[in-house]
Amino acid sequence: MSEMLKTSGLTKNFGGLTAVNNVNFSIEEGDLQSIIGPNGAGKSTFFKLISGEIKPSSGQIVFNGNDITGLAQTQVSHRGIAVAYQITNIFPLLTVLENVRVAAQSRKTTFNFWSKAESHHEITDQALAILEEIGLVEFKEDIAGNLSHGDQKRLEIGIALATQPELLLLDEPTAGLSPTETRYTIELIKKISDHLTIILVEHKMTVVMEVSDKITVLHYGSLLAQGSPDDIRNNEEVRRVYLGGVKV
Amino acid sequence: MQTQQAEVGAGAPGGAWDRVVDLVSRYPVTVITIFFIIFPFVVPYKALATQIIIWGLFALGYNVCLGYTGMLSFGHAAYFGVGAYTLGIVLIRLWENLWFGLACATFMGAFTALILGFMCIKRKGIYFALLTLAFAQLLYFLAFQWVDLTGGDNGLRHIPAVPLPLPGFTVDIQDPLRFYFLVLFFVVLALMLLQRVLQSPFGRVLEAVRENDPRARSCGYETTNVRWMAFIISGAISGLAGGLYALYLHFVGIETLYWVTSGQILMITLLGGMGSFIGPFIGAGVFLFLEDVLSAITDNWMIFLGTIFILCVLFFPEGIWGSVMKLVNRSAGKKG
Ligand SMILES: Nc1ncnc2c1ncn2[C@@H]1O[C@H](COP(=O)(O)OP(=O)(O)OP(=O)(O)O)[C@@H](O)[C@H]1O
Ligand SMILES: [Mg+2]
Repeated sequence: MSEMLKTSGLTKNFGGLTAVNNVNFSIEEGDLQSIIGPNGAGKSTFFKLISGEIKPSSGQIVFNGNDITGLAQTQVSHRGIAVAYQITNIFPLLTVLENVRVAAQSRKTTFNFWSKAESHHEITDQALAILEEIGLVEFKEDIAGNLSHGDQKRLEIGIALATQPELLLLDEPTAGLSPTETRYTIELIKKISDHLTIILVEHKMTVVMEVSDKITVLHYGSLLAQGSPDDIRNNEEVRRVYLGGVKV
Repeated sequence: MQTQQAEVGAGAPGGAWDRVVDLVSRYPVTVITIFFIIFPFVVPYKALATQIIIWGLFALGYNVCLGYTGMLSFGHAAYFGVGAYTLGIVLIRLWENLWFGLACATFMGAFTALILGFMCIKRKGIYFALLTLAFAQLLYFLAFQWVDLTGGDNGLRHIPAVPLPLPGFTVDIQDPLRFYFLVLFFVVLALMLLQRVLQSPFGRVLEAVRENDPRARSCGYETTNVRWMAFIISGAISGLAGGLYALYLHFVGIETLYWVTSGQILMITLLGGMGSFIGPFIGAGVFLFLEDVLSAITDNWMIFLGTIFILCVLFFPEGIWGSVMKLVNRSAGKKG
């Protein structure tokens, strides 16, 4: 197995606040790693640094052997990293199918003014396959903004998948979901992790413990602990700062 | 979503309005074409009809910016004005050929949008609006000063009345009705091309960028370039409209480049309704008709027009066409 992503000394300061502090993190191809930590620990900021949405204050990000530190977000996307955002970030007035279709189209063409969008069957087919996978194919003609919260969360994942990433960053995909919906999303994550490398940020410990190969704990932007689900479950410090009171 | 939108089903029940709205939404180009073929025969005079479709074309171009991409430009006088001056200067100095003149007007509209767009497009919202305004005013002062080329304050006069060269023969277009149909030809051409573009993969990206620019970027789209391209298309159509306007007046007034023109096209587009093909033409029709009627009654017609505009924006924020659509949708929703 080869190392897909590696951050060294990754740091992000917002004025006086260090949201991400000297984080060394790496993930092997095919793995599913989780990042946990209290609110404001810097998990989403860590994702934004990797995806190029914001530039690090210092440190380095290497993806598939290439230094991608400071690359623009669009370029990072084309290198093969996609994000499913914590705060649902879809195209609310477009149809469910178009949400995924336009994301899939990003791999093929932008400045094509002449052909009909519908005539690109391979793109539509790919989008439909993803809708099938995320369980939204029956809503394909619906306006995305009218979907339930749970369905929008899955569409969020669908948009990310449509850009055919090698590495998928999932930011709290089950937040606000019912137990049934959470179950569905867990199964979905398991399924897509067969052919994708995934970093998962999640508060629900049951989810994290069930799907992760390895867990990283962030606390005030710093790496507190790293290890297998069992290691983390039994780590005294982690229990104290994060899991305290939570039964896992 | 706060508003629950009822959908018009393909078989929306009864009502002439429902059917009209349904037809226009589904075959906008055909409906607009047929309507404007009949139009000059029902309006009081052809000159008004011609002005309406020229300004409708300009608003259509403006709408590519505002309605389809969500960019509020306050400097579209620049592209319209450059198109107008280009046509005049080309016909006077270079070649008295109508096709060539209009092609140059379109190209220069696009080219100006390419240059100015490059400098404005990275800004958003009010900063974008102010930058477009500033650059347009810059062109206005440039035209004002460059008297040799533009005639300055007096405007560009004596644009020759050229015939329309067709393969094998030429057609005189000084007759108002013939000229109207020449303009209509370009309007329909622009509509067809634009429809094609909006249905293309690029059109879909445009939609995505308007809907959620950050997400489009995170999907790997260079959204700045996408908006820039839309701006250039908008400039091309505006330039064509400006060229037709100069051809129609045989004259280009310096005020063509003035910010008032930018305000006017914004008003027309908002009045008619953004994001549709028909809206700009309705807006141009209502605006020019009111201007025509009001200016005959009072010198202070701008005040009345302004008041009507403000009332429209307050009570019909979606514009006339948008409000009609909403009404019909609501009644269809009730019945269905
Ligand atoms: N753009 C910004 N400017 C200033 N401070 C920011 C910015 N983005 C995040 N922060 C701060 O950085 C810290 C980390 O935020 P982040 O969103 O990464 O936390 P998180 O671990 O994702 O939390 P949560 O579990 O609530 O999602 C917080 O204190 C937050 O207020
Ligand atoms: Mg977060």
